[in-house]
Amino acid sequence: MIVFKTFLKVLNKCKGIIIFETALLIFFGGYNIETNDVSINFVSSNPNILIINSDKKEGITKNLINYIENNSNIVDIDENLIDDALFYRDVNYIIYIKDNFRNNFINNNEIGIEVKSTGDYQSSLAEMMLSRYLKIASIYNEISNSEEELISYIDNTLQNKSEIETTSKLNTEKLNKATVYYNFTNYCFLAGSIYVICLVLSSFRNKNIKMRTIISSMNYKKYNRKLLISCSMFAITLWLLYVLLSFILIGSIMYTTHGLLYIINALVFTFCTLTLAFLLGNILKNKTVINGIINVVALGSSFLCGAFVPMEWLPDYVINIAHILPSYYFIKNNELLKTIEVFNFDTMKPIIINMIIVIIFSGLFIIITNIISKRQRKID
Amino acid sequence: MKNIIEVKNLTKKYKNLIAVNNLSFELFEGEILGLLGPNGSGKSTTINCILSLLKFNSGSIKIFGEYMEPNSSGLKRNIGVVFQDIALFEELTVYDNIDYFCGLYINDKKVRKKYIEDAIKLVGLQDFKKFYPKELSGGLLRRLNIACGIAHKPKIIFLDEPTVAVDPQSRNNILEGIKKLRDNGATIIYTTHYMEEVEIICDRVIIIDKGEIIASGTNEELKCLASIEEKIIVECNNFNDNYIEQIKELENVSDVSYNNNILTIYYTKGKNNLISIIKYLKKESIEYNKIYSCLPTLNDVFLELTGKELRD
Repeated sequence: MIVFKTFLKVLNKCKGIIIFETALLIFFGGYNIETNDVSINFVSSNPNILIINSDKKEGITKNLINYIENNSNIVDIDENLIDDALFYRDVNYIIYIKDNFRNNFINNNEIGIEVKSTGDYQSSLAEMMLSRYLKIASIYNEISNSEEELISYIDNTLQNKSEIETTSKLNTEKLNKATVYYNFTNYCFLAGSIYVICLVLSSFRNKNIKMRTIISSMNYKKYNRKLLISCSMFAITLWLLYVLLSFILIGSIMYTTHGLLYIINALVFTFCTLTLAFLLGNILKNKTVINGIINVVALGSSFLCGAFVPMEWLPDYVINIAHILPSYYFIKNNELLKTIEVFNFDTMKPIIINMIIVIIFSGLFIIITNIISKRQRKID
Repeated sequence: MKNIIEVKNLTKKYKNLIAVNNLSFELFEGEILGLLGPNGSGKSTTINCILSLLKFNSGSIKIFGEYMEPNSSGLKRNIGVVFQDIALFEELTVYDNIDYFCGLYINDKKVRKKYIEDAIKLVGLQDFKKFYPKELSGGLLRRLNIACGIAHKPKIIFLDEPTVAVDPQSRNNILEGIKKLRDNGATIIYTTHYMEEVEIICDRVIIIDKGEIIASGTNEELKCLASIEEKIIVECNNFNDNYIEQIKELENVSDVSYNNNILTIYYTKGKNNLISIIKYLKKESIEYNKIYSCLPTLNDVFLELTGKELRD
């Protein structure tokens, strides 16, 4: 009991960092939750298009211009300022309709259309629009007997609209919140566990204190076991605290299977951080070094693995590096969880595999810790 | 007297270096045994072997008639150790530090509380119970270090140079505390290279050098080993080395040395020597600030036995 009691007293000296980490989690986790509301409503987007027509505005030429006008924002820019307008994104796409476009199109000759674009997604929309019109017009041009008939076919076809209905029953908004929150816990678990456990272990395993403990009547193996249990209890408490916070901050989704899996995933990762903290606690003896190591391990892996920034925003080489860190598999699981609608073996398989990889990392850390401990015992 | 510790033919080697060589001694109940020797003489190694912190190459160690093993928890309950280096939790108060180390031996909270209070009283830290180690002076830290080692009221206490880097006042407090422990029934092994401390508190002394016992006995017995009976020290500034040979020819003088304005004259017999040297100094018109006579110390014994000083 004295070991656990003393552990708590030493831990009490580290409470500042735990409060700080938790405040960070509430602030950044909570802030992200508010700013990452993803709804499934779609908003149409119209590109800015400039049409420079050298043909007469009649027949198919007029129809094309009308179609473009109806589906985009037509801008009026002096031809001398076109390059500047493109550079400053005042216009996304410029269509040059050359002289005699109408006749060339009807007679299947080479049509005189040239374009300039900014290359952004708005210009892609404009290009798709133009391309769609020209493809439809080309098809109907083959079977139409007159220009009026052709225009009629084109208009009918372009008026067809598809009804889109999202059938997913996923609460994507809440799941996204949970993912953002649990991704951020990656940093809190790592920083909290490593800092506290390393500091506590550096006190308990101070060479002189260790010698006094060895010569005491308490069995040293029993003493080490008590220390291990105390550290594990701390890690579990930290996990419980963050899980409880997730129920408060995220709410209803945490009562579903998704919520349960987020919690289990975090528990597996907590175990991994505990083993990593033990490994570092065995290596680090100097208390001043511990802070630096936290920055490298916790902040480094959080940035590399997408705890702060969504994974899809990270460059491929960063993601490749992240594969060697357990945080990657923890965060990957959080990301996967928000997309799963039906739970069966196929959908759960990648999640289970990622959890197993995290457990393998834990096993690896335990093995390395044992090797280092044995070496240290020999040196002592 | 009852034999508490029995060390027989203890040898400990570090690769080719023999740290302790065939060492044998006994510790009797209620005594303070001083292990005296210069740094690196093998004192701490001997203690670490007794405590099973180090494996030894040959020999045997018995405590209360039983062989000491790393898992002899019954024996360890009766042992208290105060290491030379401070072993304390920076995060715990004075009281909590003692509570922790006492708690490694004693589970009963009530008993422990009483023992902690006794230890705090013994080392005189009553006013510092809620202080953290970083708030204590070097002397108070040493006292706390001692309290942590003896709070569980062990029957045998190992004190490994507990007064290193301590001011004179704290040193006196510590030495008084050690005497009190002995008076309360503890048996103590005290290692140091401060001969004055050994002379003050130890009932018996073992002098160790290069891992071997070179002399043992009570203070008086050891001093008898010295060939000198008196030592006269003269503080003089304008002493000429030519006088040394003349002084050596005076009656009973065995040796003369002059270092740092201190003239030391060793006498084989200790009667009327002060008068004769004062006469000589007056005759030669040698000015001096201070002159005094003293009896041989353990350092003199050590010097004579090994040819070097304890603190070399």
